[in-house]
Amino acid sequence: MKIRRETFFTLELPYRERIVLERAVFEGGGGARVAVVAGVHGDELEGLYVCHRLAGWLEALARRRPQALLGRVELYPALNPLGLDTLQRRVPIHEVDLNRVFPGHPEGLFPHRLAHAALRHLTGAALVIDIHASNIYLREIPQVRIARAFERELVPLARHMNLDLIWVHEAVTVLENTIAHSLNERGTPCLVVEMGVGMRITPAFAEQVAIGILAVWQRLGVLAADLELEPASHVPRVADDGNVHYLNAEVSGMFVPVAEHWMAVTRGEPLGRIASPLSGELLAEVRSPVDGIVFTLREYPLVYEGSLLARIMQARGGQ
Amino acid sequence: MSVRESFMLHMTAPLREDFGIPYHDLGPRDESPRLALVAGLHGNELNGVFVLARLANFLAQVAEQERPDARLLGRVIVVPAVNVLGLNTRSRVWPFDGTDLNRMFPGYESGETTQRIAAALLRLTEPARWRIDIHSSNLDFEELPQVRLYAPSDEERTAAGWLGLPAVIERPLNATFTATLANAWRARGGRSLVIQAGYAGGLQPPHCERLFRALVDFLEGSGLLAGVRLAAPEGDVHCFGPRQSFPLISEHAGWFVSRLEVGQWIQTGELLGYVYDGFRGELRAEVRSPVSGLLSGIRRQPLLCEGDLVARVLTREEVGAMADTYLMGHGQ
Repeated sequence: MKIRRETFFTLELPYRERIVLERAVFEGGGGARVAVVAGVHGDELEGLYVCHRLAGWLEALARRRPQALLGRVELYPALNPLGLDTLQRRVPIHEVDLNRVFPGHPEGLFPHRLAHAALRHLTGAALVIDIHASNIYLREIPQVRIARAFERELVPLARHMNLDLIWVHEAVTVLENTIAHSLNERGTPCLVVEMGVGMRITPAFAEQVAIGILAVWQRLGVLAADLELEPASHVPRVADDGNVHYLNAEVSGMFVPVAEHWMAVTRGEPLGRIASPLSGELLAEVRSPVDGIVFTLREYPLVYEGSLLARIMQARGGQ
Repeated sequence: MSVRESFMLHMTAPLREDFGIPYHDLGPRDESPRLALVAGLHGNELNGVFVLARLANFLAQVAEQERPDARLLGRVIVVPAVNVLGLNTRSRVWPFDGTDLNRMFPGYESGETTQRIAAALLRLTEPARWRIDIHSSNLDFEELPQVRLYAPSDEERTAAGWLGLPAVIERPLNATFTATLANAWRARGGRSLVIQAGYAGGLQPPHCERLFRALVDFLEGSGLLAGVRLAAPEGDVHCFGPRQSFPLISEHAGWFVSRLEVGQWIQTGELLGYVYDGFRGELRAEVRSPVSGLLSGIRRQPLLCEGDLVARVLTREEVGAMADTYLMGHGQ
């Protein structure tokens, strides 16, 4: 197994510095090539930690059984390094969401060039996993989100990812500019993983997802079939837009949850309340509209009217 | 009375007073709006906000018959600033969660805060026969006041001419704009235009004056205003198709310095500016235009990354397939 770090994109900044994007490459046999992408948004760190855990696992494999890597693994932990270095979700200077400029353009602005370079390197992989960490406002259970158009190909792969939820959603036009849509449209399977919360890492979630990624790599022939892996411990539920309920704040204030994340709730059960910071008044009580499970829960307490407080997956037969 | 201030949305806030998004409702109230004018979807694009506030004041005077001979002949909705909190905090995006309001359309009345704002704006402006969304560019790049048309109808082409702005630019539809106000209007039929003028973060009075005049001309051209006498228009209107726009990208980083003003015609090879090394200060490149045409945009931010846009030239001939659409989306 060969392990190396490669620069795949560089760009000159105004005053002496350069942006340099690196990937870690683990090269085994001539089997399938797979990739993990993280840090598209500069405030999402969970995927960086997953990359660290995967790199550590592969380095250990190189010491104990290097020939078990039959394919090639590429880790792209920081697609938006300037954003990560400066605690900004978007691409600094240009103030654009990197995940809204794909497929990019080689002669465009910095974000377009970066997107184009990433897409060029990722296209053709047997599987790309793009890890996101929600944002600073919401905590997400480890899940994969799949656009309906790619459901048939991606759901079978996602089932082995050791996740808690697979959410198949209808096409949303704004998602056409994402890295995942661009890859899937080009025939390169890409799974979007959402987990945890922005600006934090949740080690338990990272371990869970890393186990799932290794299992999928083994299925794709990247890892030897007889390599003993930690078994999956999570069986995903499958949701779609028909049984996902959004709870938005009716009034502005401070949201104080009483429900736990990934907790089963019954219709009418209290999920939290919106309080006034200026008085002892309770402005609103938030209750579950259905029997189901809370898979998104607000982490950042202040809310405006309309702010998302929770998403609940309504229970269906057998789930 | 034919002048009204109303609110298109009223919301509570976590720690400050309740807030609303106000608009002017001018002219006869017993008819549906003939024209809706919107600015300030981005809170730091000030030219449009200022001009619409001034125009509302002017139209209110006309409606109140304080201007002899001038008559307002139809109902006009004017929303100077949609992103009120962004304007007051000098933020392009909705400050609470960093959402770009012009990527939230058509919105959703029961959704996130910015989806609610988008839905309310669409509900208010959709019935208008004509709708115009006014932007500046971003903080870095100055745009000559111009009309942008996306796969327009003949009526929209004609109406773009009423504005009398120096450039009318046609663009193809693309995914970047699917969640914008202009596209939401388009999906609902009717006639709509997008205007770009100047750069964000400040006022450029010459652009504001030109924009004010353009909107008055539009009101006259569309039959909504009569009896206003303005000075003769400056210059001609030029129309440019999708392949008649040349973005000039710098392959050098450093300082970009230019003395040029937008709106002038330039020749092939003409000097547009200089790039100096950021640290050593030495001249790295003279930036010359590879095409001739109308200088419709110039960089105002001196700090330059490799790959940054330094100028845009609108050409008389088609100049190739460069995806300027990407760059056009910037700041809009």
